[in-house]
Amino acid sequence: MSFFENLRSKAVNTFNQVLDKNKGEKLSRDEKFCIDNHLPDGEVILAELAVELRISSEYSLIEYNSVPQGRVYLTNHYIVFWDAYDRRNCSFVLNLSAVKKVERVPTNSYGFALNLTTHSKLNIVLYLIGLRSESEKFAHSLKMTLKSNLPNIKKLQPFMQTCYSEYILAKNKISDENIEVVPPGGLGLIYKFPGNPKELRDKSKMKLWFDLFRADGRNLSLIRTNMFHKLIRVGLPNRLRGEIWELSCGSMYLRLDNPDEYERILEENKDKRSIAIEEIEKDLNRSLPEYSAYQNPDGIERLRKVLTAYSWKNPQVGYCQAMNIVTAALLIFMSEEQAFWCLNVLCERIVPGYYSKTMYGTLLDQRVFESLVEDTMPLLWQHIAKHDIQLSVVSLPWFLSLYLNSLPLVYAFRILDIFFQHGPKTLFQVALAILKINGEELLQLEDDGMFIQVIKNYFLSLDQSAHPDSPNVKYRSITKFQELLVTAFKEFSVIEDSVIEKHRNKHRDSIFSNISTFVKRTELRNLPRTPNLNQLTLGVVYDRFYSIVETYNVTLGSGKNTMDFEAFYRFMSEICDFMNNETTEDTRKIVRDFIHRLFSHWGTSSTSISLPELATGLDKLAEPDLMNAMSNFYELYTDSSKDRIDREGILKMSEDLLAITACWKDCFVLDEITQKEIENAIADVVYKQQKQQNEKQFESEKGELKLPTEVDIDKSIIESKQTERYLSAASTFIQRAFEYAQPNEEEVLIEDLKIEDNKITHNAALNPNAPVFLNLPTFRMVVLADETYELFFSKTLQNSVHADKPLDSKFDTMRNLRDMFDGLLADGREVATKVRRRMDSAASNALLANSDGASMKSGKSTRIQEVDEEERDDDFNTIALNDGDKDVLLGAEVGELKVTSNSTRPTTQVEQQKAHESEHEHESENLIEFQT
Amino acid sequence: MSFPNPAKAVKLVLLGEAAVGKSSLVLRFVSNDFQENKEPTIGAAFLTQKCTIGDKTIKYEIWDTAGQERFASLAPMYYRNAQAALVVYDITKPASFLKARHWVKELHEQASKDITIALVGNKYDLVEDENDGDTLRKVSVEEGQKLAEDEGLLFFETSAKTSYNVNEVFVGIGTKIPESSAPTGVQQAGNEAGRIDLTTGAASTTQQTSGCC
Repeated sequence: MSFFENLRSKAVNTFNQVLDKNKGEKLSRDEKFCIDNHLPDGEVILAELAVELRISSEYSLIEYNSVPQGRVYLTNHYIVFWDAYDRRNCSFVLNLSAVKKVERVPTNSYGFALNLTTHSKLNIVLYLIGLRSESEKFAHSLKMTLKSNLPNIKKLQPFMQTCYSEYILAKNKISDENIEVVPPGGLGLIYKFPGNPKELRDKSKMKLWFDLFRADGRNLSLIRTNMFHKLIRVGLPNRLRGEIWELSCGSMYLRLDNPDEYERILEENKDKRSIAIEEIEKDLNRSLPEYSAYQNPDGIERLRKVLTAYSWKNPQVGYCQAMNIVTAALLIFMSEEQAFWCLNVLCERIVPGYYSKTMYGTLLDQRVFESLVEDTMPLLWQHIAKHDIQLSVVSLPWFLSLYLNSLPLVYAFRILDIFFQHGPKTLFQVALAILKINGEELLQLEDDGMFIQVIKNYFLSLDQSAHPDSPNVKYRSITKFQELLVTAFKEFSVIEDSVIEKHRNKHRDSIFSNISTFVKRTELRNLPRTPNLNQLTLGVVYDRFYSIVETYNVTLGSGKNTMDFEAFYRFMSEICDFMNNETTEDTRKIVRDFIHRLFSHWGTSSTSISLPELATGLDKLAEPDLMNAMSNFYELYTDSSKDRIDREGILKMSEDLLAITACWKDCFVLDEITQKEIENAIADVVYKQQKQQNEKQFESEKGELKLPTEVDIDKSIIESKQTERYLSAASTFIQRAFEYAQPNEEEVLIEDLKIEDNKITHNAALNPNAPVFLNLPTFRMVVLADETYELFFSKTLQNSVHADKPLDSKFDTMRNLRDMFDGLLADGREVATKVRRRMDSAASNALLANSDGASMKSGKSTRIQEVDEEERDDDFNTIALNDGDKDVLLGAEVGELKVTSNSTRPTTQVEQQKAHESEHEHESENLIEFQT
Repeated sequence: MSFPNPAKAVKLVLLGEAAVGKSSLVLRFVSNDFQENKEPTIGAAFLTQKCTIGDKTIKYEIWDTAGQERFASLAPMYYRNAQAALVVYDITKPASFLKARHWVKELHEQASKDITIALVGNKYDLVEDENDGDTLRKVSVEEGQKLAEDEGLLFFETSAKTSYNVNEVFVGIGTKIPESSAPTGVQQAGNEAGRIDLTTGAASTTQQTSGCC
């Protein structure tokens, strides 16, 4: 069961980190427990019980204020206790590997007691309080957990070799460990620690810690007493600083659990490059450059390795400036491995989001800081608001560099001592204290630049007396730094984690939405030029892109920001009419292949597509120029030579065209030709009605036309015509593509031109021995020869891709016959124009002899049964004309256009072809003029 | 106050890709100095320097921002209320020129309407000795000029290392900046004796590190 619990908890945890904005509120009890006690993620409380403690060791010094009473918790790898009344009085986090022995102790006063003997030779007697059965259960759980932890015990011994605490005890024969060499530590061991050790009273501090380790245990089995907290507050001795930091923040446990990971990450990524690495390289020479180790290749190399390893460990953070300074500070006191794990805990647990790609944590905490200033120092805040001073420009570097680039280093380390134990509230408490202490002076200043100057000077004077004029010597000896600490941790002790969390929750949404706006603005601005997509459309594309790339959270700057094929397919199916067709499985598959073709042509990687690539691709689909639109499509099928399509390609292209156009073929969507046809059909009906009603005052009828709300036209006929057109277009296309495809020149040479032209053309598609290829001009010619396909590339296709369709839109972009019909009637203009035209034309016809108009009675018009035979004057581009009609109906100019499109049109006549499109629009008028 | 030439405070912000030399330009202007290894700017650095142009004296309040991409989301904090901006790129790095374009756009969209912007192509020292042949220069003078003309910017090519054209940038901005553009509050505040006394004349290149009191 615990295994599944563990898994679940891990999953929830990851989920929270990535997606959950209101993190503080939604943590599970176990997660909160891990964070509160600085345990690694994934520990689960297996048992808990109220206990009283007796702790003893050979060297016991500490008199507890009272017998520690509280709750003991058993998790997968730890026993955790804290005093219910005063956590500082007594608490511990005991790694199970450091438990040497557990015995049941006979006792009179309590029903049940367990004696734990630790690696640090402590005896911890737990007097279990509560029902006997509960106690039995706890003891049983402990036994089972200890058993399952057995494999981890082998990690303990090598780990002890790396602990400075163990080393100094072994040297003094207190510990049984045999540690010959100084454990790997910070650069300070070689290059000296910053500051004057005498002034820092390093030696006496060391002695105090030595005594504490002896009496209360150390590293994995340390009892945290009042003394422990006191010793942290007075400042850690340099040699122990690294170990106490990692113990305080819990990174020690990660280092214990993953002994080889640091080296493994470095090894695995040895020769790899990344943006993060480039950025790291830029900053290596400028990280605490005043410290001697960083003027030396050894120090630089350690810094490079730790930062690089972390950038691989957490590519979502990668590298952020300021991490170099923090890591450089860690490495003065820690080994590379210690610093690596500490950096992990820092970036992911203590100040999450500070160094992320969007730095949301930094921005949020700056806002929180401002509102804390408002709450705690209203006068100063009023002043800041009145003069429009941006407080965060002053305070942001404090938080981001953990005061390391603001305070003199020795003082910054003192702040870090407390920070690692108490977390981010320390940063706030110190920042508030800085403003409070300098408040009087700040009230005199009126811009943020001067704020910075004043505080900079204050930082440089921290070693001076806070009360230089006091008659009291003791008072006079208090430094400004001591004053700062007292103000921070006494006066602002009310700024607890819960207060900060409350403020974070309050401001989180607005900060996150600011960031998303900013990120979107920036990302859209950075997109390549897309002449066919406007800003609004790009905005929609952006939103849809990220709504589909679900794991990506813009504000957290985490997750991936590319789409794989499945995501791309989903994206396209949301905006493309031709993908939403209730069609056959086969067609669906071919369309899917086509989408994959787009996917691989648009993206540079074979497995993913980025937003800029997607935008560029969509821009191509939206290409309004017919010639370019055809080239874009053509390029999807070219072979490696890039300027021709081989036999396979021609077949594939034809097949794809048939599949893509299936939704028009099946009349899920109607194209413009059909639209015109419907308009004509309606107009005919309306005209007929009008004519019947107003037979007499026909000529004077020029006023408002009243369109009926219902017109009966035969849907099936109009639809079947569109179907017919698309089927014939597809078959004509493949036939002509092979007919006009050029034979491979080499093959022709080999064949010595034996094969005559017509032989090739007749059997080209079927004869694999006659390789052919289609070049761009031929492809264009073949497309232009068919008006349905011509329209497909000039309008139909781009109109069926709705890149600007709003995300939440329920609106169906597909227009079936009913919709189009209703739309036409509701709008009415088109139809009204057409009816008028009929009237005008009839009127002029009435003036002429009937015989002139007789030739207009096209045989075609019988195809629409309800159309009045007498007055037929359809836009001829809406109807597939047969050859006979063409000659009769069209003027020489238009007729030529049709004819050339059937034969090998000289491809140089690009202009003419372009003009073709616009001519369609005027053709009906041409026709009328021709008549008159 | 009775100063003959009350210095006019001008808030100036530097923007541009990481390592194009923003901080170096400022260091050259403020301290007439050059450092190969400057600590990276965290958030932004604040410096002041006076500059005399004809009979007017301008006190530049310079916000030198961090160049790393992710710090871009902090930039609005620094360019708000700025009357002048230097958008800096590296003439040997085309990507930095692209980034400069983006910054210009961003400023036009988001910053004060009457902001005076100078486009600065830095690291001229790397190309000045080169002939027309195989050159390190990747962004031509014409490209820079074109962008500047299209967007209404001042344009300079500079070298913080050799100090070529650096002062001209600040003089150019000072000349172009509208008389009235300094927010009155700031300007008046700037007249306060304590603040001005501590700043030195424009000809001097002493760094203004001390605050008041």
